[in-house]
Amino acid sequence: MPAYHSVFLDEPNQQVIGNFALLPLRTRTRGPAQQLPQMTDTTELDIEPSHTSYDPLDEILSLFRANTFFRNFEVKGPADRVLIYGILFVSEALSKIRPGNSRRDAEKSVMNVALDTNFAIPGDAGFPLNQAFEAPKDRNEAEILRQYIMQMRQELAMRLLNRWWLSFQKRKFMGKQL
Amino acid sequence: MAPQTPAVVMDNGTGYTKLGFAGNDSPSFVFPTAIATKGPSAGAAGGTGGSGSGRPAVANKPSFLTGGAGPTGHLSGKRGTEDLDFFIGDEALNASAGPGYGLHYPIRHGQVENWDQMERFWSNSIFKYLRVEPEDHYFLLTEPPLNPPENRENTAEIMFESFNCAGLYIAVQAVLALAASWTSSKVQDRSLTGTVIDSGEGVTHVIPVAEGYVIGSSIKSIPIAGRDITYFVQSLLRDRGEPDSSLKTAERIKEESCYVCPDIVKEFARFDKESDDRFKQYQVQQPGGRSVTVDVGYERFLAPEIFFNPEIYSSDFLTPLPNIVDTVIQTSPIDVRRGLYKNIVLSGGSTLYKDFGRRLQRDIRHLVDARIKASEARAGNAAKSGGLDVQVISHKRQRHGPWFGGSLLGQTPEFRSYCHTKAEYDEVGPSIVRRFALLGGPGST
Repeated sequence: MPAYHSVFLDEPNQQVIGNFALLPLRTRTRGPAQQLPQMTDTTELDIEPSHTSYDPLDEILSLFRANTFFRNFEVKGPADRVLIYGILFVSEALSKIRPGNSRRDAEKSVMNVALDTNFAIPGDAGFPLNQAFEAPKDRNEAEILRQYIMQMRQELAMRLLNRWWLSFQKRKFMGKQL
Repeated sequence: MAPQTPAVVMDNGTGYTKLGFAGNDSPSFVFPTAIATKGPSAGAAGGTGGSGSGRPAVANKPSFLTGGAGPTGHLSGKRGTEDLDFFIGDEALNASAGPGYGLHYPIRHGQVENWDQMERFWSNSIFKYLRVEPEDHYFLLTEPPLNPPENRENTAEIMFESFNCAGLYIAVQAVLALAASWTSSKVQDRSLTGTVIDSGEGVTHVIPVAEGYVIGSSIKSIPIAGRDITYFVQSLLRDRGEPDSSLKTAERIKEESCYVCPDIVKEFARFDKESDDRFKQYQVQQPGGRSVTVDVGYERFLAPEIFFNPEIYSSDFLTPLPNIVDTVIQTSPIDVRRGLYKNIVLSGGSTLYKDFGRRLQRDIRHLVDARIKASEARAGNAAKSGGLDVQVISHKRQRHGPWFGGSLLGQTPEFRSYCHTKAEYDEVGPSIVRRFALLGGPGST
């Protein structure tokens, strides 16, 4: 049984930049992502993939722990790339927390990572996975992609704060880090 | 005729030796297959086999140089006592911790490597632990699959000539493990056809057996077993920075808390929801007398998961156990495959995790069903398959499977007629043990 893939691979009408899918997110942050309704009848920990509000970020957080144990991952489509990016971002955010930090300090350092606007997107020289990711076609697309990823980062960081995963700091998904 | 003495059942494995009497429920003694002798530790022994190779150097001068008569008697006397100065099992581990003794493991990869040490190991097993007279007992020994016949001859030489035992039978461990599974209620016909998954401390074997005979060409082994699970638990403890991450702690956690889950993502979610039930704590007494608490978390289900997803542990071995089992059966002769799928028997300490058999059965069934479906599709859905029954047998005697199988077969009334006796050995010579009639096969009870 290989690593887990995204359930959004077969989602119809995906908006794609390069080969990175811009899937709808359940978020209040501003950006190009289509918004999914906030859920009312369930919680973040219990949400099922069949729920209408289930978004790629829920999936990233639920697959993160299992997938970080795998070194090989076959990319099956644009939605898998969202998953990869999200998992690598979670690793990075966790790595900023020092052991012995208070909860407040930890939250602060995670949010700092998320709010940092100086990050690489697919196609940039500093992006670690350019073999698997295509660069956006023009500057306009690059800007949309950047804003989308920014949204992902902020929303992920906010949801991450409810989890307690320091033991996964040292594992590197596919041997890569952002 | 006087009441028969029970047969002695000895199962010498790479890691542990199981000793006891036929008819008993569990072995009387279980201890490491280790021997501590005077002199330096392993490696020096060379492992060439034959007598004398592992012996400590005693006489530094040949007797004719010592001036004839007198001192020779003294020297040979000394040699005699040094030869007797050794320990086996747990005592060997203790002795080697102190000065003067070196620790040796006479069995490697299931096969005897050092016959001199093995002979001394057996002599202590018989006289010091079991305390029996070998002349009065028949012996049932075990051997790994693909054991060369020369090894059997060596064994017979030692058993008959050194110990003068009354009779001897040598059985293949995998066949005995099949016999041990007869205690399970799931087994209806007591056949000796099945696939044995034997996972101990060092290595995991998948062995197909058809009507009591091992299909040697299809055996596969997997470099993942008990020791690797311990290492993996240890690495998870270290990742988390637990206060104690010694191998001993990891081993205890492995043995007491680990189980097999149906799906790791779902299991992670379950830990989130029911964290109070799922997370455990474990007290460790450290050498200084301090007691520390170690948290036990995801390793409870991640550790045995390395059988089903080796990728999470090793980077060079990636094939999951269910796929290996499937390949083994697919490379066996076509007329026995149905029987091999129907009777997959677990044996050895590393198969004891809760739900191990269930998960294995489910995963193998998935593989089989997918293949049947694909071939039906290739046939244009014109022919339908009747399906294939996959059954993994878990039973209560798994831990010492081969030993218990030996105990079961050794107590049958016809057991003695299958053995070669001392008289037959004296008549024919060591080559007599190259062949044994199949114990527990068709025709016997």
